[in-house]
Amino acid sequence: MNIKFRVLPIMALAMVLLFAPPTRAEQAAVEAAGADANAPTINLDKTSLDNGGDFVISGKAPAGSKVYIELWSAEKTVKANRFDGKKDPKTGIIPYKFYITKDMPAFYKIVAPVEMAGAIDKAKAAGKSWKYSEVLKEIGADAAYTVPAKIQIDNYQATIMASILGSRGTLLPPMDEKASKRESMKLVKTRFVSVGNLLSAKVETAPDGSYSAKVSIRSGLAPGKYSARVTAVTERIKEGDKETVKKVTSEVASFENKIAFPTVYLSTAGTSINILWPFLLASAVTIFGVLMGAGGGFILNPLLIMFFPLPHTVVAGTVMPTVLFAQGTGIMNYSKIKFINWKLGCSIGCAMLVGGFIGPKLTEMITLDQFKFLFGWVLLILAALMFWQTTPGYLANNKKEQAILKEFKKRAAEAAKAKG
Amino acid sequence: MKVDFWGQEFEANMFVGCIGGFLIAIMSSMFGFGGGPFMVPLMTLGLRLPMYIVVGSSLLAIFFNTAMGTMRHYQFGNFDLILFLVMFPAAILGGYIGPKIAKKLSPVMVKRVACAGLIILGTKLLGLF
Repeated sequence: MNIKFRVLPIMALAMVLLFAPPTRAEQAAVEAAGADANAPTINLDKTSLDNGGDFVISGKAPAGSKVYIELWSAEKTVKANRFDGKKDPKTGIIPYKFYITKDMPAFYKIVAPVEMAGAIDKAKAAGKSWKYSEVLKEIGADAAYTVPAKIQIDNYQATIMASILGSRGTLLPPMDEKASKRESMKLVKTRFVSVGNLLSAKVETAPDGSYSAKVSIRSGLAPGKYSARVTAVTERIKEGDKETVKKVTSEVASFENKIAFPTVYLSTAGTSINILWPFLLASAVTIFGVLMGAGGGFILNPLLIMFFPLPHTVVAGTVMPTVLFAQGTGIMNYSKIKFINWKLGCSIGCAMLVGGFIGPKLTEMITLDQFKFLFGWVLLILAALMFWQTTPGYLANNKKEQAILKEFKKRAAEAAKAKG
Repeated sequence: MKVDFWGQEFEANMFVGCIGGFLIAIMSSMFGFGGGPFMVPLMTLGLRLPMYIVVGSSLLAIFFNTAMGTMRHYQFGNFDLILFLVMFPAAILGGYIGPKIAKKLSPVMVKRVACAGLIILGTKLLGLF
């Protein structure tokens, strides 16, 4: 198809054929090029890593081409979701769309030529507002972006009412390839957050086209098979709005990332962590929680998010059941000495049941940054409450109440004894 | 609503209780914690109930929220079994050691430390430093 492009008389027709379904046309170009004699070669100096590490990818691409390496975990996939509640600046309509995929590779990165380092640093300096699709385009890595473009994304039309009721909304028909690719980039950014996680500029190319890149895979990533593919962009032709990218791609090379106990892969979170640390953290926090007279979940959650690369949804969804059992035993102990007013507890409990139905939906709708922001305020309010509980007035009152509480507990224990 | 407790009768404004409980439940299930530190002030201050009724009954109310929240999080695929298996024994261990240390420490001191810790954590999450 690349050759057809050069034959100018039928270019207009070819343009229509090529661009009507743009991604498919591009795909065809890739496959045709794969068998090409020009196709770059790819060699890895290591085929096995031990919980991350450095390795060198080298090979030969057509002289003068720009070489991009796409790296992804071929075995492990994770969930990624995004809620689009931002007002469209053109139409002024808030889309209220919810996008979710289960096929996001647990690791994804594109390594660009070294000369793109400036553009990547610029994106890093832009902070949280960087746009993945724009950076990809700027450094030309959009030509190498293929794997997430093919993931299956479900999109839901959410409404405020549906969200209140705790539903994702109505499932819409699948997006076309172009829209799906565009959305996949946004999901990639939501999932991997930072520029450094997704892009680096490491590929050095010699004038004869041989290239090499020292790639480092950080520790704490998904184990299993990883794949690497080289895309060499030989030429970019700009004609008006349309840009034609001529590229050749290598075969897929693979390597293995191995992890060993006590480092364990958390499949929902998509990261591997040394389980000793969360264990110690959770123990310390629950001890402190008991001293404070609370569960401790509100300290454990932010710490887990800060120290480990875990998604906030997984942290919230996993800490909650942990607290559940402690509460269950607490209720059992109190009910033994008849220290629970069932009517009061169940009445408020019913209202809380409804709230508990809605809350987890909201966790899914917000981003990690929003989660941190809101949680920050919750903690400050809590700090104020804690402070209030150390003020002299409260303490004096509390002392009286504690005395009554003790008296009641004693009576309750005696009553239980007399019965038993 | 009338609340009967060990022969004493209290009047509780259930409207305040239910609205407050509902809001606290949304917040706590959204962020994945129990909600006890918010429920206790709500029931003592908002409903004007004495501490000895609140301790047990607030736990019961929270249990409803945690059970529902757990189910919903599980339904949305937010539950990671391995992480749970790591933290669950830690929580039991903490629950076992905690009360033993508690006897030796002044609760006011603990609350002051907690207060300072929460301010640090909160401002850190807000990205203030």
